[in-house]
Amino acid sequence: MLNGFTLALVYALVALGLTLIFSIFEIINFAHGEFYMLGGYVTYLGFAVAGLPYLLTLLLAIVVVGLVGLVSERLIFRHLRGKTLNAFIVSLGLLWVLQAGAQLSFGVLDKSVPSAFAGIIRLGGLIISVERFVVVLAAVGLIAVLYAFLQWTRLGRAMRAVAQDPDGAALQGVNIEVVSMVAFAIGCALAGSAGGLLAPLFAVSPAMGALPVVKAFIMIIIGGMGSLPGAVVGGLLLGTVEGLGSLFFSSAAVNVLGFLMVIAVLLVRPRGLFGAA
Amino acid sequence: MPPSPALRRPLIGYGLLAAASLCLPLLTRDTYYVDVATTILMNLVLTMSLRLEMSTGQLNMAHISFLGIGAYASTLLVMRGGYSFWIAMWVAGLVALLCALPIGSLALRVSGPYYFLITFAFSEVVRLIFNNFFVGWFGGPSGLVQIPKPDPIRMPGLQLTFAGKVELYYLMCALFLVAAAVLVRLDCSRFGLITNAIRQSDLLAETLGVRVFRGKLTAFALGSFMAGITGAFFAHSHQVLHSSDFGLEPMVLLVVFTVIGGAGSVWGPVVGTVVLTVVSELMREFHHYETLVYGAVLILIMLLMPEGLISLPGKLDRLLRRGGGGEAEAMGVGVAP
Repeated sequence: MLNGFTLALVYALVALGLTLIFSIFEIINFAHGEFYMLGGYVTYLGFAVAGLPYLLTLLLAIVVVGLVGLVSERLIFRHLRGKTLNAFIVSLGLLWVLQAGAQLSFGVLDKSVPSAFAGIIRLGGLIISVERFVVVLAAVGLIAVLYAFLQWTRLGRAMRAVAQDPDGAALQGVNIEVVSMVAFAIGCALAGSAGGLLAPLFAVSPAMGALPVVKAFIMIIIGGMGSLPGAVVGGLLLGTVEGLGSLFFSSAAVNVLGFLMVIAVLLVRPRGLFGAA
Repeated sequence: MPPSPALRRPLIGYGLLAAASLCLPLLTRDTYYVDVATTILMNLVLTMSLRLEMSTGQLNMAHISFLGIGAYASTLLVMRGGYSFWIAMWVAGLVALLCALPIGSLALRVSGPYYFLITFAFSEVVRLIFNNFFVGWFGGPSGLVQIPKPDPIRMPGLQLTFAGKVELYYLMCALFLVAAAVLVRLDCSRFGLITNAIRQSDLLAETLGVRVFRGKLTAFALGSFMAGITGAFFAHSHQVLHSSDFGLEPMVLLVVFTVIGGAGSVWGPVVGTVVLTVVSELMREFHHYETLVYGAVLILIMLLMPEGLISLPGKLDRLLRRGGGGEAEAMGVGVAP
């Protein structure tokens, strides 16, 4: 149950990035899971191979993946704003390029990353491993930083304005190009941070991005595409439902449960729980 | 009666396609190439029917599920029910159609990215059901094996068997030519005009008296019916079924074929499917590099030719005529208000 919660929180980071990009570009980036994968490999290289401190590696993963996101926005995605179908094909192409790139550079086999923190914490009757505790703390911290950025900084406000109404924002002097570029980079960096956080818990592999990205899709549909609070609430909701579901049903049935939730939400409230009408 | 001018070009295109697909086995009897050609024809029915649905502006990510529903339905009818393939094939199409009506009615209440995602959710539910539930019927994760080939046809003076690759190719070819005839004819019919109107602006179409929902659902149901019949062929020619045959990966390929070819034209999926299949066959030996190059090619084509490969002749034409008076006319925007 607690493990499910940890995972849901980290996947919510992936979902936040996905929904941030959707809110600005109105595109579904299928390659988002590959940015998560890149974050995992940066952590593998920095922490397991080069022996850097874990938290520094995590920071490195965020920066490197953010930069890769920035470059892919400049080269590719800025031409695809609002073109859902073309962006879908392009993001598939990027997915294949990044996955094949990882296979060629690191091989198809899983690379294990050693545990970053040892020991356990006792909280009354509750036993939590320090590692999971750090993951939860870091995920919550990143969500808080993102919230503060969007709420109180000039660039963050501009980003929300572009998400609401690009033309209106442009009329107020917001530089849409810059805002979009930064938003895309932040979205990718969030996925990278999730990859960095989960790398020591699971192994890293070229195909590791597939599962989180599907979970992230379910989360942002439940929460409302383009809504940041929606992504977090959707994430926690999915985590809870799957956690409770796994007590009663087989794992296959729990997977079906997630997709049935998506169908139900889209039929009852197509814009999701937090989506604008 | 000579065909009307509006039908002449589609007829020529269809004639060429029919001639090419019928003559292909005369060029090579190599079972590998015949196999690849059969897969191309099968994918052509799927991409062309997917494009019919996309002509209403909706990308149905559950299209592959109806291939699966048809495949499992026909397999069960033949293996458990003891029916002939020739009956099971049509029933498979009908079963897919019957499943499509409720799924389509629900999914088509939303549109755009939401439709894309809800159909994806439906397709995953269908795949997970094949993979994990009713194991006694669908075979669970190990799938179904030893599916018999289509029964031979015995009539006085005529005997057709379907044991070999070439015979199966001609069977698929017949299915393809019928499906393509229907789809090409539909494209230049009143229904084609309706779907185009819905894609360009469903609100405007509705105010003009077009029954938008019915148009979308009809396209969805017809596309699913074709996918279902193709599913029957898929099951009995491959002779094994696995739930992953109907998952995200093959679905994504269908979308790639269609959009890279050009979803705006009925010939787009044909160009996309044939070109991309041949390209990936040629690159097969490069392994990981194949995926790398393939991905990069997709990105480049979409950035340079957003309308797909089918727009290439028009683009070249415009390039050659640049500076002449024909440019605005060729762009089709000359007298836009």
